Amino acid sequence: MTGPDLSTGRLTRPLLLAGIIGGLALASGVALTVTSGWLIVKASEMPVILTLMTAIVGVRAFGMARPAFRYWERLRTHDAALADLARRRVQTYAALIPLTPARLGQRGRADLLTGVVDDLDDIVGAQIRVTVPAVSTLVAWGITSAVTTAFDARVGLVVIALGLAVLAISLVAVRVETRGQVELGDARADVTRIADTLTAQAGEIAAIGAGPDLIAELDVRQANWRALVLRQARGRALAAGAILVAVGGAVAIVALLLEGSTRHTPAVNAMLVLAPVAVADALTPLAEAARALARSRGSARRLARVLSQVPAVAEPSGVASPDTGQGLELRGISARWSPERPVALRPLDLDLPPGTHLAVSGPNGCGKSTLLAVLARHLDPEAGTYRVGNDGVGRRDVLSEPLPAARGRIAIVDDTPHVFASTLRENLRFARDDADDTDLIAALEAAGLGTWVTGLPDGLETRLGVGGRGISGGERARLGLARALLSERPVILLDEPVAHLDSATARAVIADLVASSPDRTLVMVSHREDGRDGFARTLRLTG
Amino acid sequence: MRPFDPALLRAVPEVRRPLAVLGAVGIAQGATTIATAFALTGVVVALATDAPLGAALGWLVLLFVVRGLLTTIGEYAAARAGADVSTALRRRLLGAWTRAGRATTDDPAARLTLATAGCTSIEPYAARFLPALVAAAVVPAGAVLALLFVDWASALVVVLTLPLLPLFAALIGRTTAEETQRRWRSLADLSGHFLDVVRGLPTLVNYGRAERQLDGIRQVSDRHRLTTVRTLRLAFLSTGALELLATISVAIVAVLCGVRLAHGSMPLDSALLAILLAPEAYWPIRRVGQEFHSAADGATAIAAILGELGELGTIPIDRKPGGAPTCNSPTSSPATNPTTAQLARVAVDAVTYTYPGAAEPVIRDLSLVADAGLTVLTGASGVGKTTVVELIAGLRQPDTGRVTAPRCHLVTQRPFLPTGTLRACLALGNGAGPDAQWAALRQVGLDGFVAALPNGLDTVVGDDGFGLSAGQGARIGLARALLAPETVILLDEPTAHLDDASAELAHSAISLLAQRACVIAITHRHELLDHAQHHVHLTGAALGGRGRGIRPKGGAR
Repeated sequence: MTGPDLSTGRLTRPLLLAGIIGGLALASGVALTVTSGWLIVKASEMPVILTLMTAIVGVRAFGMARPAFRYWERLRTHDAALADLARRRVQTYAALIPLTPARLGQRGRADLLTGVVDDLDDIVGAQIRVTVPAVSTLVAWGITSAVTTAFDARVGLVVIALGLAVLAISLVAVRVETRGQVELGDARADVTRIADTLTAQAGEIAAIGAGPDLIAELDVRQANWRALVLRQARGRALAAGAILVAVGGAVAIVALLLEGSTRHTPAVNAMLVLAPVAVADALTPLAEAARALARSRGSARRLARVLSQVPAVAEPSGVASPDTGQGLELRGISARWSPERPVALRPLDLDLPPGTHLAVSGPNGCGKSTLLAVLARHLDPEAGTYRVGNDGVGRRDVLSEPLPAARGRIAIVDDTPHVFASTLRENLRFARDDADDTDLIAALEAAGLGTWVTGLPDGLETRLGVGGRGISGGERARLGLARALLSERPVILLDEPVAHLDSATARAVIADLVASSPDRTLVMVSHREDGRDGFARTLRLTG
Repeated sequence: MRPFDPALLRAVPEVRRPLAVLGAVGIAQGATTIATAFALTGVVVALATDAPLGAALGWLVLLFVVRGLLTTIGEYAAARAGADVSTALRRRLLGAWTRAGRATTDDPAARLTLATAGCTSIEPYAARFLPALVAAAVVPAGAVLALLFVDWASALVVVLTLPLLPLFAALIGRTTAEETQRRWRSLADLSGHFLDVVRGLPTLVNYGRAERQLDGIRQVSDRHRLTTVRTLRLAFLSTGALELLATISVAIVAVLCGVRLAHGSMPLDSALLAILLAPEAYWPIRRVGQEFHSAADGATAIAAILGELGELGTIPIDRKPGGAPTCNSPTSSPATNPTTAQLARVAVDAVTYTYPGAAEPVIRDLSLVADAGLTVLTGASGVGKTTVVELIAGLRQPDTGRVTAPRCHLVTQRPFLPTGTLRACLALGNGAGPDAQWAALRQVGLDGFVAALPNGLDTVVGDDGFGLSAGQGARIGLARALLAPETVILLDEPTAHLDDASAELAHSAISLLAQRACVIAITHRHELLDHAQHHVHLTGAALGGRGRGIRPKGGAR
């Protein structure tokens, strides 16, 4: 499989065409200014009105052409960029699937995924903000250089030199901006992290009067970020200023070249001296394009870092065979998240006959989540065996089964089940396609959402998620449980399912689950003691 | 939505300076832009009439250099204003939330979005939109004023046509409002779809549904492209119309000048100036319109943050440490002079409390008084014990009744353990030095454990660092309470995660603490009850109404 396309500002045919149209718009603007100058000076010589006619038609045409070309260019650019975005979204999504969930990090997974979407937008946005403006500028610059050269080679040279100077300034700006991008991104992440702590744990922080201490730390992080932003701005600000100075220089040189020269008529003189001023409007967007290019390069690097990872599970070559029982058996299983990281799960033996209710406890880093990842076939173990089947019946190797088969017997409920922007029905049904409304209601009732769903104005048709009905933390945790119950998978793994709930709600959610799962195997990892009561077995990992 | 809300300057005075600099630079830039038109006219006229360039060229070069300088300063000032405004608002917002404790009901995810993405969207608003707004206010006015001196007829044309720009924008906006609104809504749905399925990817992988999304993404993205291009066609058409309108207006000026020039009734320099100045009156206004779409998010975020700050401002939150007890109640109380005994006294008077969104109060008409010494709070689970200590700590505000207490230190069930060194974690809220920290660790029996850590007090704990068990975390929280300067210490299940030996040590530490402070502890352990001077047993509001017993224990009080 080829990886997704992460190139920034690539020039394709549609973009080239859009850029040329944009160049014509810019060139029309330049022509409008210089022709007006010619016209005014010529008119002041009080000629017969007919000699002005061509110029008048020209001014009118250029005035109309500029908005028309610009409109056409912008439509074409956006159409091309959005088509490319559609293509890259599919590629990126396909590349993310094998990395999910093990390679997306334990915490802040939702933020990482939001970052992927934003970075992809930035990369494609470079076509609109970098590629097309750059082509347009080149075209307008080329046309202006050619036309001025036709009138006066010396002035043409000045216009060419001005373009080269602006190009050089912009390239320096790209370098300056690109250099600081990574540090700036890290500094921004620092601010976000402490903002996250302050919002998620506002109550705990206020309880111990630590607010001022943490706000002081926020101040330090924000000051650091601000300093980096200003360092970036310095390069950009100097570039924008330098471009104007270069334009001033070009106008002065042209004026000095033309002073006292009788080579041209006064009207042509006016036209030529206005040319560098007019072409400046076409050249200045380069500085902004430089900034956008640096930004999208940073996005491309970040995205590449995520997508270039090796999946945590290799696709096994075995074939699926019918299940002979749902007991799980681990022997000497150990695992690490990647070869360069330390062992996350020490060799472990574990028997989970059907109907086991096991609570797993232990300090951070003792391997609780790693154990769940191995059981769920999200992470290949380093050593040991993992088999399925009941005592007395033949047990089969899980590790050589195709992934869909191995994963198909296990449902996972984590601390932040995603609520899709869709109806309640669609938010449940993907867990089991053939479920009818009776099944859905039964699952909701078993998860303790019976009263909630009868209270909904549109019942199963109620829209949830972004733009839909708000849902509390407790309801969200229960929705995750309802999906797992609906899937009728014989094993449910619970990873801190009630981490965000208050104690009373947490107990109630877990009690409902245990009550509705007499024959199902439940393995729950939880930091908190409350709610473990209903679990018959406890496994304490010590790391 | 307002382009600029002066309430921002009142609510967050620290943004006044960067915004004032931004305005000043904008005005200077406007003035030099207009001056450039004069100098350029001088140069062109000199070339056209074979006169020496002389001073005009010198002025022009000087003006370009000054404009370059001002652009540099302006870009820098804009970046600084963007950074300053967003950091100031983020700081205010997070500070207000932290002080309010649990008094607000918003979901943390929405809050985080406002504090991160919301504040970030203010950067382009301050850095790009506000300078454009300043330019739009300054440059057209300056250009018209200059034109008035140069050629009043041209000035008249500009004055008459200039209002057409916002008028046309409003007309186009009104006739297409419904269509645009409808399109933007479906556009938001379509562009949200990809984010939604990406964020839901772990859930979809769980149920083996991820690959099926690929076709959906392709189709929705294609629909998104078509809808966007249709929407943009309308948007670009209206900006195109405005540009055309501006061009036509400038053309009218040019024609008027041309005709008078050809008749010899107007000097060349006035005519040149008129056609150079006229466009300056129009483009800044068009630029505001163009920048507006990137600024809309920022303006919305500012409105949301100011609203939030205003709302939180009404919550009485700041209490004095161990000093005058302040009241947080709906009814104001007369100011009293605290006596020494009141410094460590908690009084809950007829307090009723309902969880946000709940129908029935969880606590009804509760009264209790706790003085220096240890008060133990017991009751069945779900009866509202945690809520009671949160009310005392001021993290929640009662519906009715009154809580009188100095500033409190509450050790929550899962104490706040930030990622960082143990030293920093223990110093939160107290700033204690290493000697005091070791003494506190000794009291809770963690000194040996910490001494054995690779870096001692400098070991990094928390999310990305060394894992602490629930019991160790609880004991760190308790050690921090021993260091706290507050005279009222509240403990929520301080020894629930501890084995018996550790719990006994912790209980002695708590009784020692109770000798200098008013300690209120929630517990299920009977051993702690033995150390207590008072015992309060809560029975549920739903179960027994007022039926709750307050029993002074062991003849104390």
